[in-house]
Amino acid sequence: MNIVLVGLSHKTAPVEMRERLAFADSSLTDALSKLVDHDTLDEGLIVSTCNRIEMVASASADPEKGIDRLARFLCDFHDLQPAIIDNHIYRHAGVEAIRHIFRVASSLDSMVVGESQILGQVKDAYRQAVQAGTVGRMLSQLMDRALSVAKRVRSETEISHRPVSVSSVAVELALKVFDSLAEKRILLVGAGEMSELAARNLVEEGASNIIVTNRTPERAEAVARNFGGSIVAFESFYEVLPTVDIVICSTGAPACVINAAETRRALRSRRKGPVLFIDISVPRNIDPNVAGLENSFLFDIDDLESVVRANIDGRQAEARKAEVIIDAEAHHFINHIRAMDIGPSVVEVKEILAQLALSEFQRNRKRMGDLTQEQEAAIRDVLIPSLVNKLSHPIIVHLRTAAHNGDRSQVVEELRKMIRID
Amino acid sequence: MDYLWFVILSGYALCVAESIFSLTSKQPTLRRWMIFPLALAFATHTAWLVDRGISLDRCPIAGTEEMFAFLSWALVVSYLIAWKWSHALALKAFIFPIVLVIATIAAVAPQSDASPAIKGPLQSFLFPIHAGLILLAYSAFFIAFGAGLMYLIQERELRLKRFGTFFYRLPSLDTCDSISFKSMAVGFIMLTLGIAAGMGWQRIRDGHYWHGDPMEIFSIITWFIYLALIQSRRSSGWAGRTAALASIVGFMIVIFSLVGVRFLGTLHPFS
Repeated sequence: MNIVLVGLSHKTAPVEMRERLAFADSSLTDALSKLVDHDTLDEGLIVSTCNRIEMVASASADPEKGIDRLARFLCDFHDLQPAIIDNHIYRHAGVEAIRHIFRVASSLDSMVVGESQILGQVKDAYRQAVQAGTVGRMLSQLMDRALSVAKRVRSETEISHRPVSVSSVAVELALKVFDSLAEKRILLVGAGEMSELAARNLVEEGASNIIVTNRTPERAEAVARNFGGSIVAFESFYEVLPTVDIVICSTGAPACVINAAETRRALRSRRKGPVLFIDISVPRNIDPNVAGLENSFLFDIDDLESVVRANIDGRQAEARKAEVIIDAEAHHFINHIRAMDIGPSVVEVKEILAQLALSEFQRNRKRMGDLTQEQEAAIRDVLIPSLVNKLSHPIIVHLRTAAHNGDRSQVVEELRKMIRID
Repeated sequence: MDYLWFVILSGYALCVAESIFSLTSKQPTLRRWMIFPLALAFATHTAWLVDRGISLDRCPIAGTEEMFAFLSWALVVSYLIAWKWSHALALKAFIFPIVLVIATIAAVAPQSDASPAIKGPLQSFLFPIHAGLILLAYSAFFIAFGAGLMYLIQERELRLKRFGTFFYRLPSLDTCDSISFKSMAVGFIMLTLGIAAGMGWQRIRDGHYWHGDPMEIFSIITWFIYLALIQSRRSSGWAGRTAALASIVGFMIVIFSLVGVRFLGTLHPFS
């Protein structure tokens, strides 16, 4: 039995191609049952997201045939000519296929390395294949292993420790100023998409007290409703400034909306800790001089993006450590399969020995003189099988231990030589 | 030098090395093993104090050696409390160098018997209370100093927008500020009680509350500085940079009370 994989991802195929080859949730069960023909492929599983399609299967015989069947199925199912997809798909078998699925589950192959969504998508695909009944012993072991490798990568490397989006970096910075966001008041100046996103991240971290201000009050109301916050008139937001701890500014204004002099005046009456200003607008909406005020901190979009870039670099470094883990795990798993998969060889060895014994019996039949039919049947059905079992037992034990370390077929080959056939 | 001090000092030295390494390196791998040298050093340190107390049949906080031994021990205890409460592991890198220095002074100080002032009929239960409370207060002020230093560094990283290893290892400004404030408040209460016990002890001894001794003057200055700090923090709800700077000034004065005052001539027997 062999694990084979055919797939395409954002790295190998443009989005139009991925769209055409994707499997809709509704058609997945149908696709899985058509894929597994119990001839070339015994088990199958399909991961289909907007960034990738992975088809994993266990091939009973030749892995090349299994791969061809996967590729052909991908075309047939979507009514496409094989030539169209040939340059966009990758084909893996054995340890390479295992490594690939481990890398995908651990988010090493993702567009944003270390993102957590892919693990959930892999889990979903696994669950759907189990429901469709196309997952057997081999794939269930592979997928269980893939999920635990992903967990290991996550806990043993810092691959997903640092955020890589502007709004989550804003939260990370806020948590280096404030202990927790639970009691903090947040003022959103401008109710654009970016400030809403940043606010959502802060709310997820526990912030609950949000005030929104916007030139058009309707938009402010809509955003405030989303977060259970309140609104304040755009003309008078300086009045609430002394009471807030975090100010997020993102308006389309061409010039400063928050100026240093007014802010200084507003903060004078403030009798508590620091204020964090986050300016995610381009051009900037907060006067850079605000950064110089006592107990106030200002970060603009460039600052946040430089952190994002540094964190992405950090993830790349961690990804190299993860590759080492995955490489070891993939080899460990292939050895595990080999050990698990000596069944066919055992049958083969016994067949070889049985045939040998039978042909020797026939060759020497005349020399054995007269035998009744019962006696002949006893030799054929009792003596020979019993001898074969006795003789093959140490061989099978050897096969089992040898399979742990190396290639099974090589061991079988050696056995063939030992018992001098072919 | 007592051989036990080798165990104590090398344990603390390991802690200093590891904590500074953890603060600056990306992979603090040694961290979980540091519990062993720390526990061994601290247990030995405790045993040393207990043994000294039993063999002399009094509280072991008289004379330079004992006083510094007790102060460094109290500082480790204060660190453990602050760490347990705030989970700010980075504090270790700021406290253990001080622990190491104070413990080294204790180790190399000449072993002196208690000064005549606290011997015989003059000995009173008030003396160990006085000295113990003041040393505990100092250790709390050292913690405030460490947290104040962390505050200033973290604030600097934020202002300069340098988001390096330091930035990620140090706690939030909020945490630094609250460790600093809480330890100052606790230290201030102990200092107040310690000064009161000292005055009471002197009253019993020679009928005077006050001798104008440099140590007394410095203690009162320290007391006023911390009073002012705590008061301003209470009214503003946040001490920030000013308090962090003041905690450093407070620390300098405490150090001077401990080391510098002896050159001015003092009645205080330990100096």
